Amino acid sequence: MEHPRELTVEAPRSWDRPVVSVPVLICLSLVGGQLPSFSAQANLYTLGTGGALIWLGLGNRVPRRPAPGRLRPGAVWWLLPVTVFGVFEGVTFVLSVGDEFPTFSRLADPLLEDDLVRSTAWFAWLAAFWGLVRR
Amino acid sequence: MMRALAIGGFLTALLLFAAVEWFARREGSRIPALGDLCAYVMRYEVGSVPVGRIGLFGFWWWLGWHLLAR
Repeated sequence: MEHPRELTVEAPRSWDRPVVSVPVLICLSLVGGQLPSFSAQANLYTLGTGGALIWLGLGNRVPRRPAPGRLRPGAVWWLLPVTVFGVFEGVTFVLSVGDEFPTFSRLADPLLEDDLVRSTAWFAWLAAFWGLVRR
Repeated sequence: MMRALAIGGFLTALLLFAAVEWFARREGSRIPALGDLCAYVMRYEVGSVPVGRIGLFGFWWWLGWHLLAR
């Protein structure tokens, strides 16, 4: 007898656990952290890792956590940080006066030149991407 | 002066992101966590095309490329 899909529970895959995914993300981040900005390797590596995660996320290859059916009413509070960030990014981008009134990415560039900071940023980006793929 | 204003503005925005997420994770909060908000956005489809999913993946991909490869 066939069961409806929503009543079945998929057995967890052996690789689909933090003990596997976290070390993999750390290794990918350490490699990414060694690649300098504006290099062909960094471009290819970003496009490759991101492309692979999108390929996983758009197919049904990875189990997903259930999405909320309705959004809680306090969701509007997220507009506060988004608006503050958007206003500063927009104004600094439009004025385009360089280091005098820098955009977020221009401020982040000197920090990201350090290998450890760069690898940490890579890990944050990949971990959040993996989280999105799982949603 | 203008540089300090930009740094202060971006730091304020990042602190606000952290604060809203902290409030969202409290017991009985009416604010959804950022992950739940993203999951809700990713449910949006036009016909059979997962527009929300494609849009959010595309934005995150671009952000990583912009900050880490450029």
